[in-house]
Amino acid sequence: MRTRAVLGGVFSSAAILIGAWSLSGAPKAVHVAAAATTTGTTTPGSGTASSGTSGSAGSGSTGGASPAPSSTASAGKASGTYTGSVVSTQYGNVQVQVTLSQGKITDVTALQLTDREGRSVQISNYAAPILRQEVLTAQSASVDTVSGATYTSEGYLTSLQAALDQAG
Amino acid sequence: MNTGIAERGWSLPEAASAPSEDYRSALRRRLFAADLAVVLCWASTAGAVALYLLSGGVSQIHSKADAVTALGIIAGLAGTNLILIMLLLAARIPWLDRAVGQDVAIGWHRRLGKPVLYLILAHAALLTLGYAATDGLDVVGETAAFLSNRDMILAYLALALLLAVVVTSLVAVRRKFPYEAWHLIHLLSYAAVLLALPHELSYGGVLAAGTVERIYWIALYLLAYGAAAWYRFAKPLLLSLRHDFRVVSVERLAPDVISIHLRGRELGRLGIAGGQYATWRFWSARNWWHSHPLSFSAMPHGDLLRITVRGAGSGTAGLAGLRRGTRVWFEGPYGLFSRHARSAPNLALVGAGIGVTPLRALLEDSRHSGGETALLVRASDESQLYLWEELHTLCEWHGGTAFADVGPRSRATSSWLSADAVRRGVSLQSVFPRILHSDLYICGPGPWAELVAQEAKALGLEDHQIHLERFDS
Repeated sequence: MRTRAVLGGVFSSAAILIGAWSLSGAPKAVHVAAAATTTGTTTPGSGTASSGTSGSAGSGSTGGASPAPSSTASAGKASGTYTGSVVSTQYGNVQVQVTLSQGKITDVTALQLTDREGRSVQISNYAAPILRQEVLTAQSASVDTVSGATYTSEGYLTSLQAALDQAG
Repeated sequence: MNTGIAERGWSLPEAASAPSEDYRSALRRRLFAADLAVVLCWASTAGAVALYLLSGGVSQIHSKADAVTALGIIAGLAGTNLILIMLLLAARIPWLDRAVGQDVAIGWHRRLGKPVLYLILAHAALLTLGYAATDGLDVVGETAAFLSNRDMILAYLALALLLAVVVTSLVAVRRKFPYEAWHLIHLLSYAAVLLALPHELSYGGVLAAGTVERIYWIALYLLAYGAAAWYRFAKPLLLSLRHDFRVVSVERLAPDVISIHLRGRELGRLGIAGGQYATWRFWSARNWWHSHPLSFSAMPHGDLLRITVRGAGSGTAGLAGLRRGTRVWFEGPYGLFSRHARSAPNLALVGAGIGVTPLRALLEDSRHSGGETALLVRASDESQLYLWEELHTLCEWHGGTAFADVGPRSRATSSWLSADAVRRGVSLQSVFPRILHSDLYICGPGPWAELVAQEAKALGLEDHQIHLERFDS
């Protein structure tokens, strides 16, 4: 009977692992969905940053610094959503979108994050919420980079600065 | 001073009229549950790794460093899954106790200890190497980078605690510690596993918010810690308060053997089966810090309960001075050394020295099943035939015989019998002619009990026919 237990254990484990291995053959879809979820979670309440936008990251549709202000500046203070430039790093492209209200940074959404190598997704998922919080607190792109996520941080802050420059 | 069960005269079991208990289907259910437990251990560990594969973990491997990192993550996932299984195995879950018995569950727990430590050490080493290669740092630099993160500091602390726990549990090291010290260190594993949780959830992003993996892991943590908190701590405390055991009297059976008579409330609700044990804590100045795993040496009668103990350990010697009215807490009853493990029509009982106590309760709790009952007690001299009168009477009531094998051990051969019995050609087969169709219950010191079990296996008994209860002599 012990044999039955061990055989059952070995075969069930093998089946689970082989099944998972073969199913993970379509990782891109899973990966994009995961990135979208994460981005969506880290930016609650930002109406303009739909997961769909970030999900299509890397498609190049928003390449360049094309501003998409949804409302105009009033009394000299900018309001609206501005998309930063695409900053390319050795680990992939980084692009963020900033939401301003009367010149105040109310939200930062990552449209693309470093994703070129295995750990990059993990690092950027870990670093993005920290950077966003620091930016919201400092109200500028002059914040410390996250240790262990230097490339992501620099790309993130550069793209953010570009977006802020557009807003004037 | 003795108003115990012995003086009152204990009653013989009621003659039950249901001889044909269906051992087979009960056995099949039990073995199925036991095998299911093993399969779940394997499958859940594979499942933990599979969740990582499914989330695209492997497809992101583009370099050697990535591969090392992925292996490190897999080692961590498998190791942590097994650690949580270890917590569950030690959590005194009633389902598991009924399926395999608490001692077997703890045996599995022990066997997992070293592999788990290796997996966790591999996890730490591989991830340090993998991260270092990716970041272009050396191992020291990467470790420093890790230590700049609060969650990672906690993880290193968890690793240190885990090392302490496993090292103190190695057989050679464990002997050097008193049980209580070892146990306190061992309880740190609950802290260790919990300290590792923050870095699992925050670092690396494998269990990032919103992933299925995060839900799986949090559920597994809740299950393991919930089971331990309830079955190991809350439930024993509540039962101790409900039954409110007090010492009634201490009865001396031999210079180093005492029976402790206890009185408690609502004993019927405990569901004690003869042969089971509980872990006892006597709230007196000398004894409160020490817990004693002791078998019931009789079934409950009314509101009275009896346990019998030999003053072998440093703590048990102090029990003789227990006063009437001393409060007693307990955990239990535990164990499958009872009628619940029956699988055959005949009953063969073998005990050595104080090992007769669970057999005594088991005899009282066994019903006439149409089969034969026989008992063999091993003692180096007559003074060690504890509870002999009771054992003898119970065996006769079952229509069986109680044998005593008294005399020094055989020096020439490694036998569990006396030298005299070996010379006369006594064996399991000669004492129990129907041994192949019997349940064999063995209780005695570890090495001695193993010898009996070996002879039984050589005769062709199945594993599920052999029931072992060991104690350290």
